[in-house]
Amino acid sequence: MYQLLIAPFVEYGFMQRALFGSLLLSLGGCPVGVFLMLRRMSLTGDAMAHAILPGAAAGFLFYGLQIIPMTIGGLIAGVIVAMAAGLVSHLTIQKEDASLAAFYLISLAVGVLIVSVRGSSVDLMHVLFGTVLALNDEALALISGICVVTLAALFVFWRALVAECMDPLFLRSVSRLGAPVHFLFLFLVVLNLVGGFQALGTLLSVGLMMLPAAAARFWVARVGPMCALAIAIGFFSCVAGLLLSYHASLPSGPSIILSAGAIYALSIVFGTRGMLSTRVRHHRHRTA
Amino acid sequence: MLKPLRFALALSVITLSPFGAAAAQADGLKVVASFSIIGDFAKEVGGDRVSIVTLVGPDGDAHVYEPSPADATTMAKADVVLVNGLHFEGFLKRLVETSGTKAAVVELTKGVTPLAFKQEVAEEHEGHDHGNVDPHAFQSIANAKIYVANVADAFCAADAAGCETYKANATRYAGQLDALEKEVKDAVAAIPAEKRTIITSHDAFGYFEHEYGLAFHAPEGISTEAEPSAADVAKLIDQVKADKASAVFVENITNQRLVEQIASETGLKLGGTLYSDALSPADGPAATYIELMRHNMATIKGAILGS
Amino acid sequence: MSESALVFRDLTLGYARHPAVHHLSGNVATGSLTAVVGANGSGKSTLMKGIVGALKPMDGEIVNPRHARIAYLPQQSELDRTFPARVVDLVSLGLWPRRGLLGRFRPEDREAVAKALAAVGLGGFENRSIDTLSGGQLQRALFARVLVQDAEIILLDEPFNAIDAKTLVDLVALIKRWHGEKRTIMVVVHDHNLVREHFPETLLLARRPIAWGDTVDALRPENLLRARSFDEAWRDDAPWCEPDHHDHGHAHDGHDHPHGHDHHDHRSGSHAA
Repeated sequence: MYQLLIAPFVEYGFMQRALFGSLLLSLGGCPVGVFLMLRRMSLTGDAMAHAILPGAAAGFLFYGLQIIPMTIGGLIAGVIVAMAAGLVSHLTIQKEDASLAAFYLISLAVGVLIVSVRGSSVDLMHVLFGTVLALNDEALALISGICVVTLAALFVFWRALVAECMDPLFLRSVSRLGAPVHFLFLFLVVLNLVGGFQALGTLLSVGLMMLPAAAARFWVARVGPMCALAIAIGFFSCVAGLLLSYHASLPSGPSIILSAGAIYALSIVFGTRGMLSTRVRHHRHRTA
Repeated sequence: MLKPLRFALALSVITLSPFGAAAAQADGLKVVASFSIIGDFAKEVGGDRVSIVTLVGPDGDAHVYEPSPADATTMAKADVVLVNGLHFEGFLKRLVETSGTKAAVVELTKGVTPLAFKQEVAEEHEGHDHGNVDPHAFQSIANAKIYVANVADAFCAADAAGCETYKANATRYAGQLDALEKEVKDAVAAIPAEKRTIITSHDAFGYFEHEYGLAFHAPEGISTEAEPSAADVAKLIDQVKADKASAVFVENITNQRLVEQIASETGLKLGGTLYSDALSPADGPAATYIELMRHNMATIKGAILGS
Repeated sequence: MSESALVFRDLTLGYARHPAVHHLSGNVATGSLTAVVGANGSGKSTLMKGIVGALKPMDGEIVNPRHARIAYLPQQSELDRTFPARVVDLVSLGLWPRRGLLGRFRPEDREAVAKALAAVGLGGFENRSIDTLSGGQLQRALFARVLVQDAEIILLDEPFNAIDAKTLVDLVALIKRWHGEKRTIMVVVHDHNLVREHFPETLLLARRPIAWGDTVDALRPENLLRARSFDEAWRDDAPWCEPDHHDHGHAHDGHDHPHGHDHHDHRSGSHAA
């Protein structure tokens, strides 16, 4: 058992870092994912992966193949797209999913244009997207920072976030925090995604954000415990995935996501709010 | 009997050369080289008589190169197309077809004894074009001389008028390559035998290893897309420790952070950049093939022995 | 004026240049209990939204002289019924005006929530998930939230929809209690009998105010007839409203100023309330 579960992490520095980094990402990203899911914005992650291209391309134009300018550029591009989408949906009849789709497509096109003007054959995205097995100190610092900022923001603004999700008209009638909190949330989404891309790659970043949240939906009926459960599922997936990658020689990112995916599949069927539970006939019921 | 032949030959040269000269004066032999190293060979052999367009330029990655419409146009107008062969250029077949070029496509690895990839590397390349054969034959200087000879032959076939020039250039250049080879072998000899194992993130040095006796280990396969598993990385760390590798290098194309990670875990120092698949830009340390080999060797030696 | 909880000055509210409430002026006295009555599309909900600040006036203004706290129960809630929350979480939202973003909930807050739930007949429902509530139960929970808000001005937009008779009695009793506590209440109601029985004052709207005052007066047959004859639809060919043609005076004193220009038959409709 020790050999199976603990030894890989004890013996190898890169495994410890991979574990640390992915756990930190889960800690901040999973609750954000829960709110994304509740707002029906679950596909934002993929959209964001494309939206950051012009920022990264601009960073590349001015500074060459350097991680930091490209990441900052990507972050700025992502924030602009998210904020623009949020503004449009707030001020006009357009809903958030459509405005986000519009802006990320525009952003992607701009990015492709910039890259083609430069005429380079180097694949920018490969430089921008990292892998969980190669977390250097910079990347770990980035993820830690993002985690701290996210947790602090969630803690302080929790009530407003929940209210804005649950009954936005009511919040608007008693407070002016509604709009700022909405934008803060979008900022957290972009932060976790872009930081995640840089450190861990797109698949892992988006996957760790959305899959545990989606799975948690089948078990609990309150948003607080849902976030906690999502984090727990995230943690479990990271550990299981890394062990799978180690013992079965599978690529690390996909292994973590597939572990989360397995939990999701089990949750659909066996969760307390899952299929079996709602379809199975219980042999007795209460009187009231 | 040779006399009339030589006379006839001289006559044909005299009569044909105005055409040849005219053509050369107009714009030279149009050569398309698939990537920068071949472009360098072509320049050395062709000199002023050729005008060369290189598709995958300095610091470029031929594995993921996507040709543009401009490339197709260039290809269509070419007289000679020089490629590596051995499945190095994944994009080439389609480009040749779409451009409809009439030029001869010359594989410069003709006559080279190909090496297979090492076993650990071969397993990782499943979805990749290479098959089992390592195409980086140019990493051995002896093979480079074969490339150069093939270039000369190709130019001669396309432009008989300049053949003498081409052959002369090729011979001169081959001499330089010989001197280079001696330098490399001396440098390797200066490294103690037990320190001749190094790590680099791109496994393109199979021929170098085979020819000059340094052992290269890689954390990933040739493909720039492959994502490693934790098991692979752990295995390599174990191997590094077991083999007592002496230096780690990143090269100019693939994910350098993975290599940095392995270096820090095994206590090796990062040794700088090795150039494996492409030349550096003109202001860089590996702007020509000879400079590339010199730079690589010096860097390796410096990392193992020095700081 | 300090007696007024709300003041409307030539208020016009609407959407895309078509007015839903047209030139309303008057005061809502503090502690009054007013029913807002009118046909569908007559501007009742729009007026509520304007008062609470969810809609900006197209013309004129609404003044809240004492900056009194307003509690608003909308006709169609934007509440996400699938959101994972319990009844107690929903009703506790009403504590926001008192506790804000970070204030800890004290025992008296929890008590207030429990008492509010009991008052609307949902005692013991604290831990129920909101997606398991019936329409009527959800309405009562939202009522409980209004209770918890403890506001000086209370706006209820068709609160008696989808409610059974017993609950209706309970809720009306609650409203009466608020009235006794000197809160200012405006309620949109469709049932005229209910209005006559329980509401001392009535505002009869048909885009413009037809009558505003004592219920018996306001709901006279002539007024009701005039209210029924307004045209609900929007017309893009309606003439523009000229500002200097309108000095109604106060519609509050119960009579209406006929105009020779007949601008008011604008045929521009109001958004469905």
